[in-house]
Amino acid sequence: MTTPIPAPPTTAATSAARDSAGAAPSRTARPGPHGARWWREVGWRHVVALVAVAFAVFPVLFILSAAFNPLGTVASTGLVPRQFTLSNFTRLLSGERGPFVRWYANTVVLCLVVSSAQVFASALAAYAFSRFRFRGRRGGLLSLLLIQMFPQFLAVIAIFSMFSGVGEVVPAAGLNTLVGYGLVLMGGALLHVWLIKGFFDTVPRELDEAATIDGASHAQVFFRIVLPLIAPVLATTALLSFVGVINEFLIAGIFLTDDESKTLAVGLYGIIDSDRSNNLGLFAAGAVLFSVPVVLLFQFLQRFITGGLTAGSVKG
Amino acid sequence: MTSTPTRPPAAVPASPSPAAPRRGADAGRRSVTASAALLRVLLLGTLAAVTVWLAPALVARESWVGLTALVVGAVSLVAVYSTSRFVPAKYLLPGTLFLLALVVYPIVSTLQLSFTNFGDGKRGTKEEAISSIVGSSVEQLPDSPTYALTVATRGSVTEGPFSFFLVDTRTGEVSVGDADGVQEVEAGEVTVTDGRVSAADGWTLLTPRQVNDAGAAVQELTLPTEDGAIRAQGVARAFEGRTVLRHDEATDTIVNTRTGERFGIGVVGDSEFFVGPDGRPAFSQSWLQGVGLSNYERIVTDDTVSGAFLRVFAWTLAFAVLAVGLSFAVGLALAVVLDDRRIRGQRLYRSLLLLPYAIPSVIALLVWSNFYNRDFGLINELLGLRLDWLGDPWLAKAAVLLTSVWMGFPYMFVVCTGALQSIPGELREAAVMDGARAWTAFRRIVLPLLLVAVTPLLIASFAFNFNNFNAIELLTEGGPFPPDSPSAGSTDILISYTYRLAFGGSGAQFGFAAAVSALLFLVTAVLAAVQFRATRSLEDVN
Amino acid sequence: MPSSTTSPSRATLLRSLALTTCLGLTLAACGGGEGTGAPGTTPSRVPASGESAAAPERADADLVVWADDKRAAALEDVAQRFGEENGITVAVQTVSQDLQTNFVTANTAGNGPDVVIGAHDWIGNMVQNGAVDPLALPEAERAQFTDIALQGVTYEGKVYGLPYAVETLALFRNTDLVPEQPATFDDVVATGLASGAENPLCLQQGQEGDAYHMQPLYTSAGGYLFGTTDTGEYVPGDLGVGAPGSITAAQKVAELAQQGVLKTSITGDNSISLFTEGRCAYLVSGPWATADVKTSGTPYALSPVPGFAGMAPAQPFTGVQAFYVASKGENKAFAESFVLDAAARPETMRALYEAEPRPSAMREVLAEQSAADPDTAVFAEAAAGGRILPALPQMAAVWEPLGKAYAAVINGADPAQTMTTTGETVRASLQ
Repeated sequence: MTTPIPAPPTTAATSAARDSAGAAPSRTARPGPHGARWWREVGWRHVVALVAVAFAVFPVLFILSAAFNPLGTVASTGLVPRQFTLSNFTRLLSGERGPFVRWYANTVVLCLVVSSAQVFASALAAYAFSRFRFRGRRGGLLSLLLIQMFPQFLAVIAIFSMFSGVGEVVPAAGLNTLVGYGLVLMGGALLHVWLIKGFFDTVPRELDEAATIDGASHAQVFFRIVLPLIAPVLATTALLSFVGVINEFLIAGIFLTDDESKTLAVGLYGIIDSDRSNNLGLFAAGAVLFSVPVVLLFQFLQRFITGGLTAGSVKG
Repeated sequence: MTSTPTRPPAAVPASPSPAAPRRGADAGRRSVTASAALLRVLLLGTLAAVTVWLAPALVARESWVGLTALVVGAVSLVAVYSTSRFVPAKYLLPGTLFLLALVVYPIVSTLQLSFTNFGDGKRGTKEEAISSIVGSSVEQLPDSPTYALTVATRGSVTEGPFSFFLVDTRTGEVSVGDADGVQEVEAGEVTVTDGRVSAADGWTLLTPRQVNDAGAAVQELTLPTEDGAIRAQGVARAFEGRTVLRHDEATDTIVNTRTGERFGIGVVGDSEFFVGPDGRPAFSQSWLQGVGLSNYERIVTDDTVSGAFLRVFAWTLAFAVLAVGLSFAVGLALAVVLDDRRIRGQRLYRSLLLLPYAIPSVIALLVWSNFYNRDFGLINELLGLRLDWLGDPWLAKAAVLLTSVWMGFPYMFVVCTGALQSIPGELREAAVMDGARAWTAFRRIVLPLLLVAVTPLLIASFAFNFNNFNAIELLTEGGPFPPDSPSAGSTDILISYTYRLAFGGSGAQFGFAAAVSALLFLVTAVLAAVQFRATRSLEDVN
Repeated sequence: MPSSTTSPSRATLLRSLALTTCLGLTLAACGGGEGTGAPGTTPSRVPASGESAAAPERADADLVVWADDKRAAALEDVAQRFGEENGITVAVQTVSQDLQTNFVTANTAGNGPDVVIGAHDWIGNMVQNGAVDPLALPEAERAQFTDIALQGVTYEGKVYGLPYAVETLALFRNTDLVPEQPATFDDVVATGLASGAENPLCLQQGQEGDAYHMQPLYTSAGGYLFGTTDTGEYVPGDLGVGAPGSITAAQKVAELAQQGVLKTSITGDNSISLFTEGRCAYLVSGPWATADVKTSGTPYALSPVPGFAGMAPAQPFTGVQAFYVASKGENKAFAESFVLDAAARPETMRALYEAEPRPSAMREVLAEQSAADPDTAVFAEAAAGGRILPALPQMAAVWEPLGKAYAAVINGADPAQTMTTTGETVRASLQ
């Protein structure tokens, strides 16, 4: 890059905002903790948050409790573990009920690859829809929405026979392979176009126009200017996409029959389904480990999601 | 990494779009052009190589659909990325190709299926059905011996011709035979070890693996005898049997050679079968056939299908609207409430609120369904109630909604939190104020801006819930069921209801299910269009 | 890079995005090239190299066996031994979801296994789909198996599977709570209620009902599902749901529900564990519950489920587990040999029993087992006295509606009306 990039959208965004909102009041001074005013402005938020957290977390507690319960039955599990053991975890990891570690690796790789590819493809398309005017644009956007509405698993029979054929020509991408299954999930390549496009639309066009005038190609504008600005939505969609992929098990259950190629969702469902009375502990332990990547990913992405467009510029 | 295609072609800096002024662009462009050109050549070369490599395999398999797809895909990629034109297409193509191949094509195939009888008993071709009917009619002759089999050849172990050395397991007599018949073998001509021929002069004896690999050449070899024929079973056994049925091609009938009965083609339901004199199927095997619109007719005319339709449809709508609406309301409220940097532990709250989203939905639903158990469930236990959550129609609906909100609000929370950040700080800070002004500011300014960003998501989310098979199936399985209607439960939504109809009856009826899917798709699409109209968010698309 | 004005977080995101994209693309490039930005049509994905991170190593085995979770583990040794004897590789694959459907679909598509293991009541559907081949089992070899097991795998006069175990329901009794063995089901109810246990009986129904577990009571009250010919083959045209016997049964169910003996809150998820925790006086369950009950240390006794006083004997369903040869397997010869030779050995039967104790289908092995384990003897007795589970494809139309009818009756619906409606529903879907 030889030409300097124009200033970030500080002025543009805020001035646009002011235009539409009128003069926004300036921020009130920070009150001292725990005064009446604190309660009125901040304290009640803690109360709401705590109630919500209780609602959100109690099933999770149950699952944790089941994961550490040596009996592993529904009837013997409460919110608070009565006994504590790691045996569910060690049994899972030892591979006694299938190659858990393999499933885990499969899932993490699959989720990373598919969700980054989905987000990337969606971002590309969203950019085109947001920035270019071309024939079929409106029709494309609408048909996209309609097509995505079709639950992919309704077409599972067609997908199955399709990949049965693919496997004959390219065995590495046929049924029962992660590559093939990953491709099926790439049917959601444009799943996030609408969300991302909405955010592209909020990035002022003057920005890319200025860069173009400075000699940047459209690809440079896209990768170096616009994309960084929509980091929050990329992070959000990455998370949504990751969770969508990690949870899919209707198609995976049909597609992946070999133990070595299974994902966590399929493998774990097999464990609980083979003995619903007794395997809750194992299943719950699996679920706890299962949720670790999602929690980690959220921790990692949180600052982008909540840091927002304004993190580095408007507030700075 | 430098030589591998680590960047997609869309990243290849093409020349500026025609509209862009060219002034001052040259310095920047020249530095990237060389590597970009190289990258482009590499990628398109790879593409060509792949196409050339795959095409013959597709031709060999007569996979014309695959071939067409390959060629169209390759040509469009070349056309779009080898020139500087079609700039929007450079961005749209990757996702679009995936969408066409993996969503649109399966939808079209599903539509095609909906005009067939594809389903259990009707999966294969007519030839396969006939060969299954005839093949299953092989009877072992009563009191006939079984043989220890050794497959031998004087030719090639892969091509044959093959002969069978047989040792009668009861008498130990040895014989040899091929398609022309069976002769006894004199003692001493061959070596018999452990009751099976282990060596014979002038013959190559096949190993088990060779027998297996020879496949049909051995499996379908029959050695005619007086009453029937000797055939192999597995790699080391043979038995004498008789095929009772045969297919008479001239009249297209199945003939029972023992009784002389003939079974001709007749239509039962919407499919052809080989039928007996009473017109009922003589054999359960049928085959894949086109049935026109009969699957659609059935949806419309069948009382069990259409009877409960309206009730189920109403609940489906209510469920989808409420699940999305409530989740959104909760998620948005929490996002707004927590959108204040003065809150200590803001990050922790956010992380905890996300937990339901991190738990795999499969386990969450299974766990929740146990929570609702009247006598042993956690909810009644914690609240000291004796409510029959899953046994009462209204409580079951409430239970489904409660769980949907639990599963759905973190998603809305994340999206709203993200969306709030894109709204400039001054505007949001209006909502931080207390009192009526804040509410007005929120409703008039923040909410509309937010809705622009999230409306498509809400609609997608509505569509998802409209067809949220898992939530119903894993939680209530559609129940409770009114005593007079075992096929439509109180919490059934269209997809779970119709799937029960398609798969719950006499086995899987994929053709019928495909017709149901097509109609479901139509219903969802119409609803979404209506919704879009109503929210007017398409204004932005224009 | 936009350096001067970028916030740290943005730079980090870019880096991490670049990283994940590279990671993604690299893996994909090894594994199959997705996302390389040249997304052609699906068939054009190329495996660039053999050692992909994603491609599982399967399908090369000379014999592929499909089984569900539990049985797959038990089969591993048997399969490996067969492999060594014949100098081939054998792969046992676990298919945990809908094994039968997946098998039939895969077999039709030509991607199926060579051998599949499952319950005998799949046979009807597998036959109508031409998915399994009959086995020529000589008289001498047939004689090795118990009558009920052979009856199970015989369909339309042909043997389609090699049976290895039978399973059925029996009555577990907590001997601390109820010391005396009940002679009739009325005794079960009376002693169960008198025992003071939280639940007199654990008979799983759930909100969907469970026709399988209700079958002993249904038959004792005179109900039947399909009529039989003289030779014991089921007749699809003669439906017993909605007939007078089934209505008597529904009335019995309603009565038991009123007494608090049958509950929809007792489900497959909790019935066994409620019994092992001493919260149920009786449990109606199968051999799969024995291990849990033993482990828990609950003092128990096992007997066949008794019938109602003055009514027919209770006949639970008897199911048979069997090996089948897939019609379109790639290695049919090995498959037939595996099923007829390797599976049919007493050693195999013993190994399968070790992994999962269910009464063997082989007389010789069953005698050993019954002598060594009284529970197995009871289950074998109950299985022999049970009614073979119909293998008709038409059963698919019966299970769900009948189960739901039970649940509705337990929840208070009118028994006669519910059963009559259910009969009509089933009849309609059989047309």
